[in-house]
Amino acid sequence: MRLKVLLGLIISFVIIGVAGLARAEVIGNFVDKINPFEKLELAGYLKNETAFGIAKENDGWQKFKNVFDLKGNYKLNDSVEFYTDINYWYDSVLEIDDRYDSISKKDKSVLRRPEDKYILKEFYVDVLTDAVDLRAGKQYVVWGTTDGVRILDLVNPLDLREWTLKEFSDLRIPLWMLKAESSITKNGGLQLLVIPDYEPNYYPPAGAPFALRSTVIGAESAASPFVSVRTIDNKPERTLEDSKIGLRWRDVVETGMFSGLEYTLNYLHTYDSAATYYVSTAPGFPVPIKLTRNAEQIEVWGGSFAKSITKGLVGDFGKGWTLRGEFAYIANGAMNYGTDRNIVSTVDVDQYNYALGFDKTFLTNWQFSTQFIQMIAKSKEDFDDNKYTLLFGPTRGPLDEIENMITLKVSTDFIHERLKPECLILYGDDNDWRLAPKISFEVNDNLIVAAGLNFFFGKETQMNGQFDDSDQVFLETKYSW
Amino acid sequence: MKKLVLFMLSVFFISGVALASELEYYKVYKPKEGMTADEIMQIKYHNKYSLFGHDYRLSKCTIFYVEKNGFTQKKEAIRERIVLGGKNGVSYKDVIVLTEPTQAKGLAILTWTYEDPARDQDTWLWIPSLKKIRKISASESDDSFMGSDFTVEEVSTRKFGDETYKLIGEKEFPGYKFEHTGEVKYKGTPCFVIEATPTKSPWYYSKRIVWIDKATGGNIFDEYYDANGKLFKTLFREWNIYKPGTKDYPKQDALECKDLRSGHRTVILNQEEAYDVGLSERNFTEKMLERSKW
Repeated sequence: MRLKVLLGLIISFVIIGVAGLARAEVIGNFVDKINPFEKLELAGYLKNETAFGIAKENDGWQKFKNVFDLKGNYKLNDSVEFYTDINYWYDSVLEIDDRYDSISKKDKSVLRRPEDKYILKEFYVDVLTDAVDLRAGKQYVVWGTTDGVRILDLVNPLDLREWTLKEFSDLRIPLWMLKAESSITKNGGLQLLVIPDYEPNYYPPAGAPFALRSTVIGAESAASPFVSVRTIDNKPERTLEDSKIGLRWRDVVETGMFSGLEYTLNYLHTYDSAATYYVSTAPGFPVPIKLTRNAEQIEVWGGSFAKSITKGLVGDFGKGWTLRGEFAYIANGAMNYGTDRNIVSTVDVDQYNYALGFDKTFLTNWQFSTQFIQMIAKSKEDFDDNKYTLLFGPTRGPLDEIENMITLKVSTDFIHERLKPECLILYGDDNDWRLAPKISFEVNDNLIVAAGLNFFFGKETQMNGQFDDSDQVFLETKYSW
Repeated sequence: MKKLVLFMLSVFFISGVALASELEYYKVYKPKEGMTADEIMQIKYHNKYSLFGHDYRLSKCTIFYVEKNGFTQKKEAIRERIVLGGKNGVSYKDVIVLTEPTQAKGLAILTWTYEDPARDQDTWLWIPSLKKIRKISASESDDSFMGSDFTVEEVSTRKFGDETYKLIGEKEFPGYKFEHTGEVKYKGTPCFVIEATPTKSPWYYSKRIVWIDKATGGNIFDEYYDANGKLFKTLFREWNIYKPGTKDYPKQDALECKDLRSGHRTVILNQEEAYDVGLSERNFTEKMLERSKW
């Protein structure tokens, strides 16, 4: 088995290496040549993602993933187009590193390659008119202006097998839906989403490299000889009656002092992609525990804005800054409360989340982008707050009523912008950190290599601190054609 | 990413900022004998930003980045522009979509350029991989555009009034060897020669010598000098007249910018261009950006 894996690794490096050395047009021309349809446009990539854990006593392979991606767009005429994105990957890390031997066969199969339903990443038809653009099929919809943090961006669920280390584009799980985008004013219009599909967030099982602390605690509890856990998943059916509905008004102000201001007003009737846990016990031995994972039906009201300061407020003061922000009021949600690791019960909760972002270029080509995020959770039901707190879902640790976070990303470039270093810093109150330097190099038009580090610091009950022993170094090689 | 956007904005006609000019929109002007340096430069900016047409479509643009050792990278894009003539203070709007290479395919940029010379552009960026529109802020004027040999101001923010102008004389252009094809261009072409000195000091150049083609009003050649008076960069533009009917549209078909210190150069070829094709302002919205895929 190990020999096969080694061979697989060598082959994947050779394929990507040879492809990278090939002239830019060779593969593209070959694809064009074998493509029998004039109106069909094809593109794709091969990618290797390798990550190695570097934390003390937890060093070892975290990922050895090869990705194949093929996109196609068939333009029937000026108004109708069909688009698809097929994405398949295989992560050999489970064969390479024996630390993962304890993971069940079923869980391994999901960690090793995508489930069949996810291989078709996008698949939709576009009907484009001056008045309305319709997009029907499997797709993503992204709301909001914040980077890397979900405030309004709640339409698609997330695949959190690597926590949020990857770009959000690779984290989102596509859904079957109808999207209608109308033009009402010159720059604005209404977006309507009808989503009969439902998928929960994907969380890696206990034992996987980025298993959430709450998952690990749950697995430990279930393994106890003193309890017998029965789990019930309560989630919406994929029917029209259980459809999620989204509405977004978006416009850009063209005149007056707010000229250039883009704003949206959003409403989403949906089901929380992160399940809420309801626990009940009964007398007996082992103690029978009924665990219901409920997808709460929630209402999201919110809005966003973005504005560049194109003219100095006084002289050139303020010029060149871009301000952005978003706000979401999430009604009818639910959260667990209790003590660290222990769920006592579940209460209805309203959440008020917002973010403000500021972007500017300094010193010729140094881009700074910073964000302040505040998340407020208010229980609608009473519980003994001297003994208990709300619990943070991913860690099952105590959650403050107000959580604050600051992000800073600094990036620049060298060698005619082929070499691009960047550094992302995330700080959460309670001294929770993630530090992520990265450098990428464009070898040629088709080949990009990137390397970086992810360091986590903090308490195990906090968002980043739970991965304190999962610090990693990573290398990515991507050949696109 | 932002610089890629700014670069793309520049690539096609070096689009950018409205000029503080008294020239009328939608009219074609040509320089004449006896004009002052300021009058000639106003026409040059009018042409540079193609304010003589109601709209513009570029169906193919190819950009080459060439290193001294011959290593070359390539990008392709399409573009549309509508000139609004100052309606609501907007001079013109642009949409540019990258079509090659695959790693940047589908990236689309919407820009509003204002009449007010003190005001920066508003720019929106559609990032297909993120399925998201980002509002981005202006870059620094002396920054390079995505590794090209053009600076931000050369391609999008320099306007009439950022320099003082002196007419040096009228000369025949000695010719420029366009390295991309090896052809010698514009040899013996009658030109106005103008010395332009930046109002900012210190700045990355101390002066530039601008050669304006008398026939098109386009600046065919710029020579950039550093603080020591040494030539460090040249910028060549090939202008031709596009005449689908009775109107003469000056258009830039090719550009070549050379950094004489590093030997690196950037070549831009504009192909399949058309003016006054009847574009709607609704083509220049976020909804249209989101149609871009990949």
